Amino acid sequence: MPTAAARPRLRVGVAKMASCDGCQLTLLDLEDELLGLAERFEIVEFPEASSARSAGPFDVLLVEGSVSTADQAVEIVELRKQAKRMVTIGACANHGGIQALRNWSDHDAFRAAVYAHPEYIESLATATPVSDYVTVDAELNGCPISPIQLRELLASVAIGRRPQIREESVCLACKRRSVVCVMVSQGIPCLGPVTQSGCGALCPRFGRGCYGCYGPKEQANAAGLGRAFEYGGREGAEVSRLFAGFTGWAPPFREVIDAHGGPPGRTNGRANDQTNGQASDHASDGGGARMEDPGHAR
Amino acid sequence: MVTEGRPSVAAGSSGSGVAAGADHRSAHAARRSDWFLSRANLGVLIDVLHEDGRTVIGPTVVDNAIVYDELQSVADLPVGLGDEQAPGHYRIVERGDQRAFGFTVGPISPKRWLFPSPLSVNVGSRDGRSVAFDRVPNDPPKLAFLGVRACELAAMGIHDRVLLGGPYTDEDYRARRENALVIAVNCTAAGATCFCTSMGTGPEARDGFDLALTELDDGFVVQVGSPAGADLVARLPVRAADTEQASSAAEAVARVAQEIGDPVPIAGLHDRLLAQFDSPEWARIAERCLSCANCTMVCPTCFCNTIIQQSALDGQTSTSERIWDSCFTAGFARVAGGNFRSRPRDRYRQWLTHKFATWVDQFDSFGCVGCGRCITWCPVGIDVRAELQAIAPPLAPRPEPTKPRPVAAAPGSYVTGRVMAVHQETVDVTTLTVGALDDPFLAGEPGQFAMVDLPSFPQLPISISRYGRDTVDFTIRAAGPATAALTGLGPGDELGLRGPLGAPWPIERAMVHDVVIVTGGIGLAPLRPLIDALLAQRDRFDAIRLYYGARTPGDQLYREELRGWAARGDMEVELTVDRADDTWTGPVGVVTHLFDRTTWEGSRSLAFVCGPERMMEATVDELYARGLAPDRIFVTLERHMQCGIGLCGHCQMGRLFVCRDGPVFALSDLGDIFGREGI
Repeated sequence: MPTAAARPRLRVGVAKMASCDGCQLTLLDLEDELLGLAERFEIVEFPEASSARSAGPFDVLLVEGSVSTADQAVEIVELRKQAKRMVTIGACANHGGIQALRNWSDHDAFRAAVYAHPEYIESLATATPVSDYVTVDAELNGCPISPIQLRELLASVAIGRRPQIREESVCLACKRRSVVCVMVSQGIPCLGPVTQSGCGALCPRFGRGCYGCYGPKEQANAAGLGRAFEYGGREGAEVSRLFAGFTGWAPPFREVIDAHGGPPGRTNGRANDQTNGQASDHASDGGGARMEDPGHAR
Repeated sequence: MVTEGRPSVAAGSSGSGVAAGADHRSAHAARRSDWFLSRANLGVLIDVLHEDGRTVIGPTVVDNAIVYDELQSVADLPVGLGDEQAPGHYRIVERGDQRAFGFTVGPISPKRWLFPSPLSVNVGSRDGRSVAFDRVPNDPPKLAFLGVRACELAAMGIHDRVLLGGPYTDEDYRARRENALVIAVNCTAAGATCFCTSMGTGPEARDGFDLALTELDDGFVVQVGSPAGADLVARLPVRAADTEQASSAAEAVARVAQEIGDPVPIAGLHDRLLAQFDSPEWARIAERCLSCANCTMVCPTCFCNTIIQQSALDGQTSTSERIWDSCFTAGFARVAGGNFRSRPRDRYRQWLTHKFATWVDQFDSFGCVGCGRCITWCPVGIDVRAELQAIAPPLAPRPEPTKPRPVAAAPGSYVTGRVMAVHQETVDVTTLTVGALDDPFLAGEPGQFAMVDLPSFPQLPISISRYGRDTVDFTIRAAGPATAALTGLGPGDELGLRGPLGAPWPIERAMVHDVVIVTGGIGLAPLRPLIDALLAQRDRFDAIRLYYGARTPGDQLYREELRGWAARGDMEVELTVDRADDTWTGPVGVVTHLFDRTTWEGSRSLAFVCGPERMMEATVDELYARGLAPDRIFVTLERHMQCGIGLCGHCQMGRLFVCRDGPVFALSDLGDIFGREGI
């Protein structure tokens, strides 16, 4: 077989939809690896790093951001045609991102409230994952994504094997690092048990609850965790707020949010308008509050 | 030097903890002279360990919990602190005293050091067409664990069996284990999630330690558990513990045991649990279970792991690490094409049945030590004690099926009973209902027998064929002069009795199983009290099937009752005869042919068999063919019994006395002597 070095370099592109660019900058965070990467990959499209542009084709296309405008909805389909492998990166591209909270609200009312000339704003009523529009070959989660996982993905492409991205909860990362559970020992609500690992348990390591930026793990029993929060003495709106973060639009989390009256601050309930309408108005100030112990009720 | 000769996993090439345990038992027996270490001198112990170049791992406060970590000095111990634990709940609390070990266990166990995650395994490299794999040496640190609890010692013993006791061993674990000194602490505080008492692991440290401390108000009673421990004590400012100190220590530990009680009755748990693979409870638990794997991560015995690789971008080198994995993760049972345990309910079932059943089959102990970590550290507070209760409910709260103490046992010491009624069953079989008995006699169990005696006749072992309210029945075939004399008795006649004797039918094992009863002729007599007992608590058993063969229709016992049982609707009764007459319209032939009259599956069944030995042999072959394991087939054997208590030798059968060890046996207990000629 030919040695790795004998193969031609793979063409890599970076594209973005609605996002903050933090995920694509993770590529530049691979500082020590960049020279090695350059031997295997030719980065042909990366506006944050280079003025050289390419419209494709790409061996690997990293796509950041959610589809939030009509133009993006067209563009993503075009990009898909140019990409041999499309890898979406980050909470926006995979789960809609924080901007997906607008999916629960009246888009036109938002536009009118924020912009002096809302007629200039051409956005869709929803911000949704790339995979709602096109087939995606792989997803890297996080807000932002993990440089370790990005490196692993690129290495797997270079070598020609599956990426080794573990499908497990954040809890395993906590326990392997001997981090004491913030939920059990302090009553801090934490989405770690239902959230995909990859962050190295960053938040719990600093005494905070996980806010789910890697999105739901496989078979996430978010409803079960939501019930535990309720048994811990939380109101429905508080439970909803906990899940209504960067990945709140991901179906397992979305179901919990809907079941608890929708996310706080929404202007028009698309779902469950009748259930808990007024509670959401004052739900956003509960940050940092501790809960009582979960699990005593069954 | 300190570890040399220490009874630990180092002992012997077999390398299992079993050998270590044996050594420790002798140490335990010899530990009469305990020592006393004053509270002020506890620091000396840590200093001495440091002098030996050991890293001391002991309890200290990290991130709102008392956990094991490296101790620099005695000041790192959580003096005056306790813990409050409940399902899904842990808080440190002030005790208001100066105790250094006044808490139970935290989320971290010695597993973190003895079976670390991650652990470097090797570096693989490729050079042209060659490949090479270089092991990464992991020099085991020289550790001393301080404060290890009895449940954790038991967990180490389990890891010894799992990782060192089989044909392939984990040499990294062995090195770490051999290099570690273990100073145990007996629990003097009970946690609300503890159940070591049920699992038989605590709260007292019995073996597997070098030293064991029991904390009193002013210091520590110190037990020596190994030569290394003795060396250590010799360097400590200790004096002999006085009797008051020794008894205070023992009382403190006993109080803990009493406080914990017995939350997980383990009698029959293995079988009870494995009978519940299809229980609806698994789905119910999965509504709460997050499959987050916390239970397995905090478990001191969970050893499942995965090798992960990090590859260089050119694919020419990759480093491998072993990390803790869990049967709750998505990839754990996945293969190309699918996942064997895709549903959380399957994963929970795998975990629970492994811990409390299949682990026993693999490693000869439970995989649970009752430390309670999986309960406390479950974020939604799933309590394994409650789940075991819900999935595999224990028997009704009644005493263990120990043999009732016979009212009269020794030959010569008879009680008398009086015949109250006589019932002619067949031409030559008679049932005597005997009353005027001592109460203990009435407390006998199905399957037991009595030695029955009439003066000047030989004493005979006769099965008890019914327990009435204040009577017992004997069903006797007049086969010779003594039995003829007995069947000739009438109401008011007295007879001598010793008993009840022998092992009963293990009814509790049949719970939640299908029960298959196969019998022939007068063999139905010892089974009738079993049937009575099954029907008295009918809902505890699944299907009940009775297969009964007799020579002729006229030889059937209890004919009216047979009809009554068949009419109940919740019990299958199938009858056959060897020779029909004109009253008989049912099947003719051997009893095992009746099995085919309905469809049933042996793997869910327990069988009770009584009849002529040849009939039982044929039956057992059929039961095997239906998938019954030998430990689920029970037979009752007939032998010449004279004393009834294993002292006369007549009924010896291999290593067994049929009267004392039987007459009811599991086939697995009989092994290849069952059905063998001339035994």
